[in-house]
Amino acid sequence: MDTDLLDLLVPRLRAFIQDDAPARDISEHDPSFNALALELFAAQYAAVPAYRALADHLGATPPTVSHWREIPAVPTAAFKEFAFTSLPPARRRRVFQSSGTTTGNPGRVFHDAASLELYAASVLAWFQPHLLPARGRPGAPALRFVLLTPPVEQAPHSSLAEMAERVAEAFGAGAAVSAGRVDSAGTWRVDFESLLGALHAAAAEGQPVCLLGTAFSLVHLLDRLAETRLRLRLPPGSRVMETGGYKGRSRELSRAELHAALTEWLGVPASHLVGEYGMCELASQAYDRVVGQTAPRQYRFPPWARALVVSPETGREVAEGEAGLLRVVDLANARAVLAVQTEDLAVRRGAGFELLGRVAGAEARGCSLLAAA
Amino acid sequence: MDLPRYFLADLADPSALTPELIRDACLTLKANRRRYLRERTTTDLIDAIAAVAEDWLDPANPYRRLALEQGPALLGFSAPTLAAGLDDFFGSLTRENLRALVAQDLADLQRLDQLTPNPHEGRADRLALAQGPELLAHITAGRLPNPALMGLVLGLLTRSAQFMKCASGTSLLPRLFAHSLREVEAKLAACLEIAEWPGGTEPLENALWAQADCVLAMGSNETLAALRRRVPPEVRFLGYGHRLSFGYIAREVLSNHLLPALVAAAARDVAAWNQLGCLSPHAFYVEAGGRNPPERFAEALAGALEQLEVTHPRGPLPVAEAAAIAARRAFYAVRAAHSPDTQMWCSAGSTAWTVVFENFPRLHPTCANRFIHVKAVAGLDEALAGVDAFRGQVSTVALAATGTREQTLALELARWGVPRICPLGRMQCPPPAWRHDGRPALGDLVRWTDWELPARW
Repeated sequence: MDTDLLDLLVPRLRAFIQDDAPARDISEHDPSFNALALELFAAQYAAVPAYRALADHLGATPPTVSHWREIPAVPTAAFKEFAFTSLPPARRRRVFQSSGTTTGNPGRVFHDAASLELYAASVLAWFQPHLLPARGRPGAPALRFVLLTPPVEQAPHSSLAEMAERVAEAFGAGAAVSAGRVDSAGTWRVDFESLLGALHAAAAEGQPVCLLGTAFSLVHLLDRLAETRLRLRLPPGSRVMETGGYKGRSRELSRAELHAALTEWLGVPASHLVGEYGMCELASQAYDRVVGQTAPRQYRFPPWARALVVSPETGREVAEGEAGLLRVVDLANARAVLAVQTEDLAVRRGAGFELLGRVAGAEARGCSLLAAA
Repeated sequence: MDLPRYFLADLADPSALTPELIRDACLTLKANRRRYLRERTTTDLIDAIAAVAEDWLDPANPYRRLALEQGPALLGFSAPTLAAGLDDFFGSLTRENLRALVAQDLADLQRLDQLTPNPHEGRADRLALAQGPELLAHITAGRLPNPALMGLVLGLLTRSAQFMKCASGTSLLPRLFAHSLREVEAKLAACLEIAEWPGGTEPLENALWAQADCVLAMGSNETLAALRRRVPPEVRFLGYGHRLSFGYIAREVLSNHLLPALVAAAARDVAAWNQLGCLSPHAFYVEAGGRNPPERFAEALAGALEQLEVTHPRGPLPVAEAAAIAARRAFYAVRAAHSPDTQMWCSAGSTAWTVVFENFPRLHPTCANRFIHVKAVAGLDEALAGVDAFRGQVSTVALAATGTREQTLALELARWGVPRICPLGRMQCPPPAWRHDGRPALGDLVRWTDWELPARW
């Protein structure tokens, strides 16, 4: 099979993530990030026809772009209509799809074996310092992983299911419990029998739990606990990673309400509730807390992925404390495009950001909705 | 100028509102109606309304000045955009237009004054009297004031006491209108109440339903359905849901000579009330095959919007609304990069205006705030297929055509179900006699008493 520039770059990106980056200076003065980002942009410009078309159209091409902030970003909505990939069909081993779209077509991101391993490397390298900061130190707890996501075999197109299994496999003590199911309509459900069985067993054994799930799956769990008046006290050291919005799949709680309810019904303190921000278009994720800490929540991407909050008016980065659209330049997006323009509103906070939510009206819908605002 | 505290919406603290306060206000309104309003004649009321409207057209009018001072921050329209909208609205409230409204909907100017026949009834020895609700409750939606203000005008014509509940943050113009009416005739304003609270505040709204005999509500279909469930069955409910509008430009008018005027008019439709209303266009369908192709119309429209931005700026947007524009622009840029079937023109360095040309007829409602689609079509059938998903939800079509084709196209649009067809540039300026969503707005408010005269012997 033909190799291309990216085949040569992927191992270097992986080395950047695994060997150097966690200890790396995250400040924007880090020249190695910029150099690698520009090199990756040039390779993707050459190898991703849809990306080249956009970059040419915008007049932002490798010779003219000298800084990672200027690399043209692809809006997440465009992944629904165009194949932003350097992989010819024969090399596409996996496809991750976006969820909860209202227009029918999901966004698609393709992987081959090497880019999937790069994805996994990125996931593990940033999950560990946030969810398992004490790992490897004496006295660090052995955690039982309980996943509210379905097994990958039931949800092969979910990057979140893939992520959950990867971290459970890498960091869990014993076999993980996958309590998510996909029903015949394709809807994610929670198998309460296996879930509650696993949580009871952990409580009885005193083994702390690492519970991973979407906000809506956690609300389903909380609703079940409230219905049955079952107030669990997970063993000390237990932690929860919650991610994603609701997309109409459960009643909606504010994050503060969700966290309060998780503390009340599971006995997990706020210091052990971690928010994750991710999407299939990004191989890297941001977390809003390190387990055990109580500093104000603020999402941060790893040093190999940079978040920019850009003004919708000017397209330029906003000032500290201002709101705009979140854009991410992610070196782990090897086979798709490194710069992704999300439809999420965020406030720039230091090296991180605070999430405000999805832009309403970004997609075509209803009618004069703003008139009713 | 400080407004006196006369209406509930003048109160600084809306949490002072209680169900008892609403009930007492309604009882007072009804008593004032009996004393001051019920016996007035239509001619007399038209004079008062027209006098208020004339005042609003005067640049020195203090209420207009307050509207232009406070409106930009409260409602989001720039002062020139707001002034243009107010001029269009109040300019239409002439004695002649108001008389035409009453004559159209009720057949005779005196039908609200006394038992009077229309020509058919006269021949059949019958007379009739139209009467409005005793207390008309309004539930308004949105920042665009015209529907609320027109609602108040209709209620005055029907001699109704009126209680208007405005959506949060939107009571400024109804309030200023009520104060300006008070200056012209305090007794009429004494039959009017303006208040503001978050929609769905049930204790306050239940107190209102308990006193009203008719509810006139605007809002989304969901809002209307929720209100309809809560309003008691004996209270009449008139709901106006959200609608969308578009334009249609026939190939004959796309001459070099006419193009500048066409795009200037189309730009006015996009800019009016920042495109936030049900009568504002989401797309212009432009026929291919004319002297200028649809792409050229789109490009010229972009130029006209750029010019309007200088004289009638859109004004700043909350970041979430600007982000909706930026997100759509980013998406259409990807399409434009891949095919000449999509082209986009944008204001530089801001979200002030956006024109997206596409060769696909299917309508995508825009995010408003001066974001407009131009779509090339072979003919009207293709355009109507493109908006078919919104059949029954269309309000207005601006039609630019000439000669016999104009007639043919208008009839086809009417048969398809379009309730209003108007010239380009007039989408947000319906005359008062306009049949709102295809219904007689004044006619729907009244109830009739028929009197069959005894045989003469």
